[in-house]
Amino acid sequence: MPSTDDIKRRIEAALPEATAEVEDWTGGGDHFRAVVTSPAFEGLSRIAQHRLVYDVFGAEIGGPIHALSLTTRVPEREQA
Amino acid sequence: MSESNPIRDAIAEAINENKVILFMKGTPDAPACGFSARTVAALQALDAPFAAVDILPDPRIRQELSALSNWPTIPQLFVDGELVGGCDIVTEMYETGELAEALGLEQPAGAAGEPEPEAASGLLGIENRLN
Repeated sequence: MPSTDDIKRRIEAALPEATAEVEDWTGGGDHFRAVVTSPAFEGLSRIAQHRLVYDVFGAEIGGPIHALSLTTRVPEREQA
Repeated sequence: MSESNPIRDAIAEAINENKVILFMKGTPDAPACGFSARTVAALQALDAPFAAVDILPDPRIRQELSALSNWPTIPQLFVDGELVGGCDIVTEMYETGELAEALGLEQPAGAAGEPEPEAASGLLGIENRLN
């Protein structure tokens, strides 16, 4: 069964300069919620952003990871 | 492209023939999963007409849908033949007004903030507002 730390590590390892905050939504070890920030999301639709994260886990989503609720963000930049 | 995949063909046809179609667990009146319930609540809060397909009766529906859409989870909302997203994206788009825009609808003035987080009571409240 994946832990929140596993999920965090795998997201951060797979996406460039990503930071992920992962929580176990229900305490049951299979419904997770993650806020992921990465410059890789820049310019992508939400669908494409979420796919980048889902692709890290492949068939585990819907299997051992019953649900992974996502919020994706592009890191804020200082306004010029 | 499979020639002999009637379920996938039926799914593709349903997506093409319905401007707004939600693949969900359960039905809009009786969602079988909180994520599906939240997505239905967002659509109903906008009075959006939508077609709904319950994926639970046959596991092949989900399998073929995810293969077709390249999206792992349920629900999945399609507008004009394109995948818009699942519960997270639809909820976020509802909150920002983008969902109404994507559906060509007016965002109701009172609809700011989240659709009812308690799915069951939210659905009841929304049902009561429908004609």
